[in-house]
Amino acid sequence: MSGYIVVAVFIVVISLSCLAWVFAPKENTTVFRSSVILALAMCYLMWAITYLAQLHPLEAPRRSDLRPEKTE
Amino acid sequence: MSEKEEAVFRSADMSLVQIYVPTEVSRDIIYKIGQLDIIQFRDLNSKVNEFQRSFVKEIRKLDNVERQFILFKKELNLKDIEIKQYPFEIESIPQQKVIDELIENSQLLENRVVQLRDSVESLYETQRNLKQFKYTIQAVDNFFQFDQKALIGEDSILESDGSRDLRSASSFISGVINRDKVFVLQQILWRTLRGNLYYHSEDVVDEVWDEKKQEFVAKNSFIIFSHGILIHERIRKICDSLDADLYDVDVSFESRKEQLSDVNMKLSDLSTVLSESENALSSELIAISKDLAKWWEIITREKAVYKTMNKCDYDGSRKTLIGEGWTPTDSINDLTTTIKGYDQSQSIPTIINVLDTNRTPPTYTRTNKFTVAFQSICDAYGVPKYKEINPGLPTIVTFPFMFAIMFGDMGHGFIVTLAALALVLNEKKLNNMKKDEIFDMAFTGRYVLLLMGVFSMYTGFLYNDIFSRSMTVFTSGWKWPENFKIGETIYAEQIGTYIFGLDPAWHGTENALLFSNSYKMKLSILMGYSHMTYSLFFSLFNYIYFKSPIDIIGNFIPGLLFMQGIFGYLSLCIVYKWTVNWFATGRQPPGLLNMLINMFLSPGNIAEPLYDGQSSIQVFLVIVALICVPWLLLVKPLYLKRQIDREAKHHAYSQLNGDADLIDEVPANTNEEEEEEGDHEEHNFGDIMIHQVIHTIEFCLNCVSHTASYLRLWALSLAHAQLSTVLWSMTIGNAFGPTGFVGSIMVVFLFAMWFTLSICILVVMEGTSAMLHSLRLHWVESMSKYFEGGGVLYEPFTFKGLLDNVF
Repeated sequence: MSGYIVVAVFIVVISLSCLAWVFAPKENTTVFRSSVILALAMCYLMWAITYLAQLHPLEAPRRSDLRPEKTE
Repeated sequence: MSEKEEAVFRSADMSLVQIYVPTEVSRDIIYKIGQLDIIQFRDLNSKVNEFQRSFVKEIRKLDNVERQFILFKKELNLKDIEIKQYPFEIESIPQQKVIDELIENSQLLENRVVQLRDSVESLYETQRNLKQFKYTIQAVDNFFQFDQKALIGEDSILESDGSRDLRSASSFISGVINRDKVFVLQQILWRTLRGNLYYHSEDVVDEVWDEKKQEFVAKNSFIIFSHGILIHERIRKICDSLDADLYDVDVSFESRKEQLSDVNMKLSDLSTVLSESENALSSELIAISKDLAKWWEIITREKAVYKTMNKCDYDGSRKTLIGEGWTPTDSINDLTTTIKGYDQSQSIPTIINVLDTNRTPPTYTRTNKFTVAFQSICDAYGVPKYKEINPGLPTIVTFPFMFAIMFGDMGHGFIVTLAALALVLNEKKLNNMKKDEIFDMAFTGRYVLLLMGVFSMYTGFLYNDIFSRSMTVFTSGWKWPENFKIGETIYAEQIGTYIFGLDPAWHGTENALLFSNSYKMKLSILMGYSHMTYSLFFSLFNYIYFKSPIDIIGNFIPGLLFMQGIFGYLSLCIVYKWTVNWFATGRQPPGLLNMLINMFLSPGNIAEPLYDGQSSIQVFLVIVALICVPWLLLVKPLYLKRQIDREAKHHAYSQLNGDADLIDEVPANTNEEEEEEGDHEEHNFGDIMIHQVIHTIEFCLNCVSHTASYLRLWALSLAHAQLSTVLWSMTIGNAFGPTGFVGSIMVVFLFAMWFTLSICILVVMEGTSAMLHSLRLHWVESMSKYFEGGGVLYEPFTFKGLLDNVF
């Protein structure tokens, strides 16, 4: 239950982006760099938002149709 | 080939080149350039009428050949003969001799085809006439036979001589008429002759081909008895007016028989001749169909060459053709080497000059099969200004991703991915195939579809939705209590955070929607804010590239501060609120929307504090935002006004000082201006001010409305998830109850129903709508932040796709 994993993954994404920048292929360099880094950034953002939203939820799941033997 | 710049972030560097071509080789050189596909020729004769240009004669000749080809194509289509389109490559330049031969040849062929066609047509006409004649004879025959029987039956006492006299005396008119006009004919005759006639009509069994209508028409044969030559004349006229064909049929039985056999013989002769002529025409056309595509290609290329030459400056006395055109700067080498290579044998060389110009070059973005569809999405909105940042580049990722946020479902994403993969993996085969419009669209956008599918699978994984079901991949962060009664309302207890995506514990809970709504709403605000900020920074790089510091100071910085001060702050607050454990601190979590509204309505007043010192920070931010508005409004126009004033003053001084210089300059200037059409913009303070006022109002309002507009991400993804849940529970969800035979039948049937509806409604329909929304987010919300547009698309002179409309 730590928010620091968001920062850790951020660092990983940054380093991946750097790698993508450096090891871009000779042809279509710009397209490769832009697309890979942008895709990484958007995927990271989406994950981080989802993770953070559940970090300290104000709402707990509630249901009344559960039977005792079904709980996992 | 030299190394080419990628030209996708900004359009390629263009140069204006001027080519001097000796007249003798001009056609060949232009042809070579067409093969290279690298120059967009400027029209140097834009003031000259299309009919007064230098090579109109040649074009007219080629037009005639094209007309003949169109005629051949029409005939081929009529006969259902396919035009052979084997791949052929015209590498070498076809010689003038070949073209002339082709022109001559197609003239001959046209004559022959037209002649054959006409003779076939006239033969058909004769055949039709003979057939109708035959039908008339038969009808008359039938009529008299029936009549005779009746006579024999009833009036056998009557002398046969008398009755024959009666018949021969009352001569009759017979013919064939369209079936729909029979009734009209009858009525008209009845009225005009006041019932003074005998009329008999019977159906012709076979339908007759109508050349005018190009279809088979049902006909009737008729016989009219009446008295008097005058009346006969009148009947004939009436029949003519109704397009009836009249035939003279003999009265006596014997001569009728003779007539009939005669017609039959003629008919059989005719059909042999007809089939022979038809064969001749067909074989001629088949021969044409083999080569037509190739000839057509040669001729259209030839025509394209002359059309291009018409754009060039040509003077018969000078013996040179001067062409001007835009070419990518890094392709000039290719151009010179190709032309030099061709030119070696010539005594007079072709000269290529690179011109200095202040004209705006066309925008040329190099694309490949992957980027082309994304580029066309952006070009459909507007062509970027020369050297402006190309919005097609970020679109490659943001477009499919924005789509995926709305379409997030692993199962549906997987289906889209599979469909796109089928197109991508078979692209070589499909490329050569004929495609209808909708399939062609999907095929062109196959890489867009592929990315859309892949990203949808990712977002679906985050939403934990696979066909509206959830997956438990990692350990859940919630724990249900162990002791409870059936039917008791229970709450889960938090023991951790689900590491990747939405916790499966939420699935099927009573308050799942409450949570996912709050999550998706904040998600769309944050993603929208990131997208807009990202786009806004492109404008900074544009201003830096075009070296306009005033735009950075007067537009970018106040705009950025305004947006960050309000929506950047909101985003920051959203994230910060998530990181605080509100139960542990024991404070009341504030509503962020109310906080943002109150920030402006009652600055400095905080009902539910989020953090310490909040009120002073918010007051500061409001003040910054309020300063930004006049800053955005006034700085740029005032700066420009000062510049205009200074220029005017400078101009006035120079007029006083250098009268002598000016006299020399004036004629040169007017020449320049004559060529420069509308490149010069009128700058006066009023226009600048109005423009900036509009920009300011637009920017500030758009900050609000565009952020709100990104909420469509939430709305659509919510709708998609709910729709797929409903579909599941209404179809296949019902199938798992019953067991045995009924159960298995139900599973099969309901699965089919669920799957078909999933594809039709959830993948195709919802997918299309999500795609359109994503398109809008790019065109309006993102591109309005930096895109200026107004460029001219680079369209080099090429032989590619000349015949796309024909075949």
